[in-house]
Amino acid sequence: MHKRFAITTAAWATFAASLVWAQAPSAQPAPAPPAQLGALAPSNIAKPRPAPPFDITGTWLHAMARDNPFTFTPPPDVKLTPAAQAQLDAAKKARAEGKAYHDDIGQCWPAGLPVLMTRVWPIAMIQKPTAIFMVSGFMNSVRIIYLDGRKHTDPDIIIPSFNGESIGHWEGDSLVVDTIGFVDDHHWIDNGIPASDQLHIVERMRLIGDGATLQIEYTFGDPKNWVGEWKVTKRWKRVDDTDITEASCLPDLNAHMPSVTSKSVNIH
Amino acid sequence: MNRLQFACICILGLSVAGSAHAHHSMEGFDRAKNVTLVGTVKQFKWANPHSWIELEITNDKGVVETWNIEMTAPFVLVRAGWKSNSLKPGDKVTVVGHPQKSGEPGALFVSVTTADGQTLTDRPAGAPAQPAAPPAPAK
Repeated sequence: MHKRFAITTAAWATFAASLVWAQAPSAQPAPAPPAQLGALAPSNIAKPRPAPPFDITGTWLHAMARDNPFTFTPPPDVKLTPAAQAQLDAAKKARAEGKAYHDDIGQCWPAGLPVLMTRVWPIAMIQKPTAIFMVSGFMNSVRIIYLDGRKHTDPDIIIPSFNGESIGHWEGDSLVVDTIGFVDDHHWIDNGIPASDQLHIVERMRLIGDGATLQIEYTFGDPKNWVGEWKVTKRWKRVDDTDITEASCLPDLNAHMPSVTSKSVNIH
Repeated sequence: MNRLQFACICILGLSVAGSAHAHHSMEGFDRAKNVTLVGTVKQFKWANPHSWIELEITNDKGVVETWNIEMTAPFVLVRAGWKSNSLKPGDKVTVVGHPQKSGEPGALFVSVTTADGQTLTDRPAGAPAQPAAPPAPAK
């Protein structure tokens, strides 16, 4: 009898202690936010949404032309910050001396936005109701534009990337895409013009010319690197007779490329 | 867009950018000059994003040097008549390229002539020859 009483008492004490521990607020993790349905979750894709004004699905190539260069040049009313201007001046000086200034792409760093979009490699674009997936033939870099109504990731947990986090919504005949969440180094708008973690890109995408031309009006903001609103419009052509291919920047390939191995030419 | 138009865009890219399929700076090459290299193919790499030739030559001091010849992407080379086995180790070839400004043994590919007299470039058949002094690069 005494033994049974002792066991019962011990069991109740253990149970009570566990209740106290479980209720201690300092040990309780914050409740997890509701999980965001993945863009390819069938239940997300199946949600009722208005029909989009266009389907971008296809293979696209930047339409190189004198009025549509692959480069990004600041408009006259945009003033680079002193630090950014110093970088651009150094890049110009390097070019005048026949050298390459921070040719990070050549060293296998990702191109990142916006440079990725204007390479001479086609981009495969696949549109679903919830997202547009872009895979560039250039290093197979992946860009995703979410269309499922989600908000940007909490700045405290967003993972910086070269293509950033793109959220899009439809406005009339356009897709408006807001992109933030960029890395803070080895990322350039153009040679010598740095991009920072404050880079904010807004794109207005439209299909024109019977759907054969993609037009994007860019607005770039980056208070670390320039003052003013940098606007530029670029065009792409639909290329139906080609596909993207696997392409990787590999150490053993790069070792045979004089343009990136020459220490006397490359300024890092 | 047909293949010819696509190729023309690539050529326009060459004239504007200096190298259509360069994903990086080409500042290190002196594109106003050509160097002619007579040697033996050590390796020919058929790969994205760039192909290349590793070429062994004997320099004017009698010393064997290995030159890396940087090329464009295979899909451009295919349009210029190339195949993955167009060059093989041991082939005796003459390569023309734009040399490095630094004087280091390396060049940007212009053409190759094989022992049987066949010449291959990176331009589609019928395209204008690459100028010795192209416009200043845009990047």
